[in-house]
Amino acid sequence: MRPELTRLARIEQHLLQPNPPSPAESAAWQTECLLDPELQADAEAQQQLYQGLQLAGRRQLRRELQGIHHRLYGPGAAGWLHAATHGLRSLLRRSFGRVRE
Amino acid sequence: MNLVAPTPPAARPADAAALRQALLTDRTGTLTRLYQRTFPMVRRYVLAHGGTPADAQDVFHDALIVLYEKAVADTLTLTAAPSTFLVAISRNLWRRELQRRGQAPLTELTDEQAEHLPAEPEAPAEAAESVLAYVARLGERCQSILLSFYYFRQPLEQIAAAHQYRSVRSATVQKFKCLERLRQAVRTAWAETADVLTR
Repeated sequence: MRPELTRLARIEQHLLQPNPPSPAESAAWQTECLLDPELQADAEAQQQLYQGLQLAGRRQLRRELQGIHHRLYGPGAAGWLHAATHGLRSLLRRSFGRVRE
Repeated sequence: MNLVAPTPPAARPADAAALRQALLTDRTGTLTRLYQRTFPMVRRYVLAHGGTPADAQDVFHDALIVLYEKAVADTLTLTAAPSTFLVAISRNLWRRELQRRGQAPLTELTDEQAEHLPAEPEAPAEAAESVLAYVARLGERCQSILLSFYYFRQPLEQIAAAHQYRSVRSATVQKFKCLERLRQAVRTAWAETADVLTR
């Protein structure tokens, strides 16, 4: 990877690690920040990118859910009937499923 | 002698790990099944408690988003079926909404209710909001890669396959190129704004 991309990856590793950093990792990051004065500011900017992506993803998921709703319950969809009779069909399956076979 | 084969149980994610896997591999199908199974119950509840069909849809979508985010982040604990969890979250979100609108007396939540109540959503930070516009301006491929990885939490193997990359490494490099493109666009915009403000 290009050095610029490797730097993004290093910052990502620091920001998105699943567990709190160990003392050794914290010390290593502090040292890198001393050697590279822009590292901390770049990490803060990258954190804002992740927050923006979180918002964008949530909006996309909301759009997908609206699409599902429309397919199931929108004009012309038979989904409402399917959903409304779901309980009845489950009951029938439980009661008669064995007999059918 | 009974020669009838037992009916297999209905396909349903048995626990949080199975649900997570199902959401990652077939998001639309899994969400559609959860929708069909659960929305009628939520709709009934909201309509019976002073809400409209649109209110029911809103709280249900909020509950599904909570479920999705918790499941893929591996922070979901399921003590019952996912549909039970969704109904509980939806009811609590609707109670909170009613209280917000001043239509329900403020009562104390039980511990169980509080457990199913997601944190009050914080107003998105202004900086994060401004990033949104630049995400929308990325090409379709970059947008898809970044959202698949950072929000939908799909593994890079899956992202590589979906975008026809020959290896996970190629997909990883592309992901960072897209992130760099986004950072560059945001940085340029912020620099221009700062420039205008200091003039």
